[in-house]
Amino acid sequence: MKLSLTHRCCTFASIVGLSLLTACASTVNTVERAAPVGQRQMVNDKRVITDAGLNRAVRIVGVNEAPGEFLKIQVELLNTTSSLKSFNYRFEWFDANGVQVNSPTSTYIPRQIEGKESIFLSALAPTPAAKDFRLKLIDNTR
Amino acid sequence: MKSQNSPHTLLALGSASLLLAGCATPQATYVDPSGSRIITTVGSINIQDYANAADTMVGSLIDGVINAGKLESPGGQPAMLAISRIVNNTSQHVDTDMLVKKIRVALSKTGKVVTTTTMGLGGNAEDPLAKGIQQQTEFLQDKKNTRLPDYSLSGKIIEQREQAGNVRQSSFVFQLSLTSKDGLAVWEEEKTITKQGKRSTVGF
Repeated sequence: MKLSLTHRCCTFASIVGLSLLTACASTVNTVERAAPVGQRQMVNDKRVITDAGLNRAVRIVGVNEAPGEFLKIQVELLNTTSSLKSFNYRFEWFDANGVQVNSPTSTYIPRQIEGKESIFLSALAPTPAAKDFRLKLIDNTR
Repeated sequence: MKSQNSPHTLLALGSASLLLAGCATPQATYVDPSGSRIITTVGSINIQDYANAADTMVGSLIDGVINAGKLESPGGQPAMLAISRIVNNTSQHVDTDMLVKKIRVALSKTGKVVTTTTMGLGGNAEDPLAKGIQQQTEFLQDKKNTRLPDYSLSGKIIEQREQAGNVRQSSFVFQLSLTSKDGLAVWEEEKTITKQGKRSTVGF
């Protein structure tokens, strides 16, 4: 009888625990055209990972660019976890000589990404002279 | 013996004091205004919010007007921009130049847009001396060669507050319009920044 009560308690606790976990973890379902009309012009990228935890949770899927006088960059990110993730990002720009192009509007921008969601971060070069970019991502744990 | 130890004791005490002073937390410190360690408050527009809104506005303007080849100006010169009314519909005192100046600087750096400082709303020049020099030059040359602006920039900042239990939420809506000489809004953009919290926090 005593064992049975313990067993019941454990089962109840497990159900409550699972219910709570399910309530906290909401992931994103998506639907899109099977064969997209637009073709992305992908960019070969180099990644420097110093925060492995952030990289595991918010994975950089790919980088593509759009033609134009002002360079346009789009970075696709995927939240590999099942919970909401907050982070900050900032784009930096460099001219043909590798010198940084400063912009008065440059700042870390906060973003949130839902569980299993894919988002795009896009930015336009501040001047036509900007030829290269760097995206910085930092966790929002403070 | 005692007299021999005294200099050592003093030296040790002095070193300890220096170490303590070196480790002491400073009362004030510099932080990068574009970094991620600046103060964020729920009820007011913070410096990073202006930069964030300006960044969106400039990006949209470059993408929708300049990169799209829709920017019109006489003889291939940079387009001339005049700043019109930016209405502050928030509950706090806001210097709209916190937003507008960032946009002006960013547009100026593109090399595609210049802003007039001698023409303003209600005839008020931002730079009265420059306006005087311009008028004197025209008088001495006996001709009016004042170039009129190709575009004017107007907008509004709106605030919306909500509260549910202990959680407070503030939304600041930044709206801007670029109007051509024909009186048509050739570009418009809106950026909403929403913040939630129970009290002021550090960081985003």
